[in-house]
Amino acid sequence: MNKEKLFDEIRDANLNYLLLAQALIREDQDAAVYRLGISEDLAELLSALSPAQLIKIASSTTLLCRLRYDDRLILDMLVSHTKDKPMARTHAAILGASRPVEVLA
Amino acid sequence: MAGKSIVNEAHEIKLAIELVQLGARLQVLEVETSLSRERLLRLYKEVKGVSPPKGMLPFSTDWFVTWQPNIHASLFMEIHRFLTANTKARGIAAAIKAFKLYLEHASMDAMEPILSFTRAWTLLRYFDSKLLGLAECGKCSGHFVVNPLDLHTNFVCGLCAPPSRAGKTRKALAATEAVVFSA
Repeated sequence: MNKEKLFDEIRDANLNYLLLAQALIREDQDAAVYRLGISEDLAELLSALSPAQLIKIASSTTLLCRLRYDDRLILDMLVSHTKDKPMARTHAAILGASRPVEVLA
Repeated sequence: MAGKSIVNEAHEIKLAIELVQLGARLQVLEVETSLSRERLLRLYKEVKGVSPPKGMLPFSTDWFVTWQPNIHASLFMEIHRFLTANTKARGIAAAIKAFKLYLEHASMDAMEPILSFTRAWTLLRYFDSKLLGLAECGKCSGHFVVNPLDLHTNFVCGLCAPPSRAGKTRKALAATEAVVFSA
């Protein structure tokens, strides 16, 4: 992939993420905090951003969202080939829910 | 006493309707709203089309520590804990939101949501009165619903060390057989 195309894809992913996050927060902020794994302050700030501001933030050479489950145990549960997949996913959800949220510095 | 607020009553009726739709029993409605029993009865019949089930709510804490219910109950408790720690949702609103997120998780994996709303609500009451507690699994460090009077040193959860034959019910067997035959 050439550089130009790569940056386009990153911008698209960023913009998609921001738009989805805004839609989730506007629908139900409390549930969005759970789904996105961000603090309430951050959710309020995100939902208040204008489209122009979203495009400004999205135009970057780096991705805005990072892998939430940076935990070997949870990742292993999600990718391993166990017989009981729903149980493995439930286990991962139980562990994931006790992880801290991203907070506004 | 000041006259009844119609706005408050409207809120309570809305809450009661939502609770009935989630599957709450009449006892839950009586505690969470200040509407009269007769009105709740009529509301229940109108929303569900049938009379509410009679009799007492399940009152044993044992159900929550058996293998499969324990996993569902622990997931619900962890979501509820997350919401009360990170959002302003409290009380019955937090219970409703956590239960909806739990239902979504179950439907995603086509799991039967064996924790009903009334059970989830009783679970929260058991936690408030310290009849049940959470223990951290020594292996995965997840939090699971336990009897607080048991010993929890070296506690290992039911998912890290599932009991033999866990989940191997007739229903589960029939489901896998159906997949094999249809393939």
